[in-house]
Amino acid sequence: MAWRFALAAALGGLCYLDRTAAFQFMLHRPLVVATLVGAVFGDLAAGAQAGSVLELLYIGRLPVGASVPPDDTGAAVFAGAAAAASATRVGLDAGSFVAIVLLAVPCAELGRAADRAVRRINGRIAHLAVESVEEGDVRAVEQGLLAGVVLFGLTGVLLSLLFSGLGVAFSRAVLPSIGPGGRSHIAIMLPLVSLLGAASVFSCSRTERTAPAFYLTMALVFGVTFLSRWAG
Amino acid sequence: MGVLPDGILRRVFRRQFLVQACWNYEGMQNVGFAYCALPALRVLYAGRPDDLVKAVKRHLEFFNTHPALAGVVLGAALRLEERAAGGTADPRAIGTFKVGLMGSLGAIGDSFFWGALKPMAAAAGVILSFVHPLLGVAALLGLYNAVHIAVRRRAFAAGVQGEEGALRYLKEAGFAARTENGKMAAAVLGGACAGAVGVGAAVPASPGWELLAFLFLAAATVHLYTVLFRKAVSPSEVLMLLFVVGVLLLWH
Repeated sequence: MAWRFALAAALGGLCYLDRTAAFQFMLHRPLVVATLVGAVFGDLAAGAQAGSVLELLYIGRLPVGASVPPDDTGAAVFAGAAAAASATRVGLDAGSFVAIVLLAVPCAELGRAADRAVRRINGRIAHLAVESVEEGDVRAVEQGLLAGVVLFGLTGVLLSLLFSGLGVAFSRAVLPSIGPGGRSHIAIMLPLVSLLGAASVFSCSRTERTAPAFYLTMALVFGVTFLSRWAG
Repeated sequence: MGVLPDGILRRVFRRQFLVQACWNYEGMQNVGFAYCALPALRVLYAGRPDDLVKAVKRHLEFFNTHPALAGVVLGAALRLEERAAGGTADPRAIGTFKVGLMGSLGAIGDSFFWGALKPMAAAAGVILSFVHPLLGVAALLGLYNAVHIAVRRRAFAAGVQGEEGALRYLKEAGFAARTENGKMAAAVLGGACAGAVGVGAAVPASPGWELLAFLFLAAATVHLYTVLFRKAVSPSEVLMLLFVVGVLLLWH
């Protein structure tokens, strides 16, 4: 099991770097992260399932200006690990799935607090770099940048380790104690959570022209999917 | 065109992927921008250490824009640096140019990349992940990065042509129209996601009024959420509320 956590931490660290410090290739998006972490913990499909819901839920939270959005990468690490660990042991029912997605929200807030702390430390690094340049050492810029990358990467590794551990612990210790009756109660919230994700996509793409397109496509896919299930 | 060798420009281009590596609340991308420009500044001010320090300090001033479009400013600022190093331009014009462009580039980039391209790629990825998880991941990464990397390349190349080249690129790239189209595609794909999710809640055995009621309920739920978002309620806050409801259900 230790190698799984080590691999999750390494992959998570890489994805966290992509989040702010480097590249922005979208390796940090919940769909990608939860699928990877799900694969590490034994069930790629369960990880992707959790990741796809989180992907839509957090799509509207943007890093604009000085605002730091919730840490959807951390939420995906937690949800991917919990969903895969749950699926490989007792199966991932709708109630467990909703509980995992809802518990990923505090993880995202915790990750955001860590992100803010890193950026404050970066402020000190930047200050030191400016002072060194004023004294004639221009290499301080490269050293300062390297320090920033290491800080972002190291924080990502530690957060990934923490969230994957919490995810596995939750699926093994807490979920079984809720019981099938309790989980079936929570399961009734699944459409509410999933539709919240769809609303989030609509909200960030909303213009006067897009509203009819959104609702028409929704009705069309709803009808076609239902009819194909009914006929099949 | 300029005195900067192609090898140095390629190095600066590669470095722009790290423009946010030391992001901080005071100077934001200042250290990242200076890091990107450093290889070129070392060539331009070779043998003039005091001028090199002054040039690096210029780029350690506050800077913040959308990371994917930072290359436009970077390329154009280096052309201005060439002229400043040759004594044909006022170095203060570099800072003025950067400050003048970064705000509008930030707004364009946020709207295009975060408001249109990312939701579109994400919704496409989610839909295709129903077919196979890896197909979804590949769609998200492929759709986003095909555009993202192409814009980074073109933006930097335009910036390297100077201020006029940068402004011409921004005018001709048609970001406003592309943003509108991207938002439309995102809305259609988001609607498909909502339809697929909504049908999961539809339990009647045959098509009829009951089915229409389920569709109406799903659409009304989405509409209610969007109204809440417009009132500055975030999805995280709605999820926290659902979390409390879940705990109460378990308690009951």
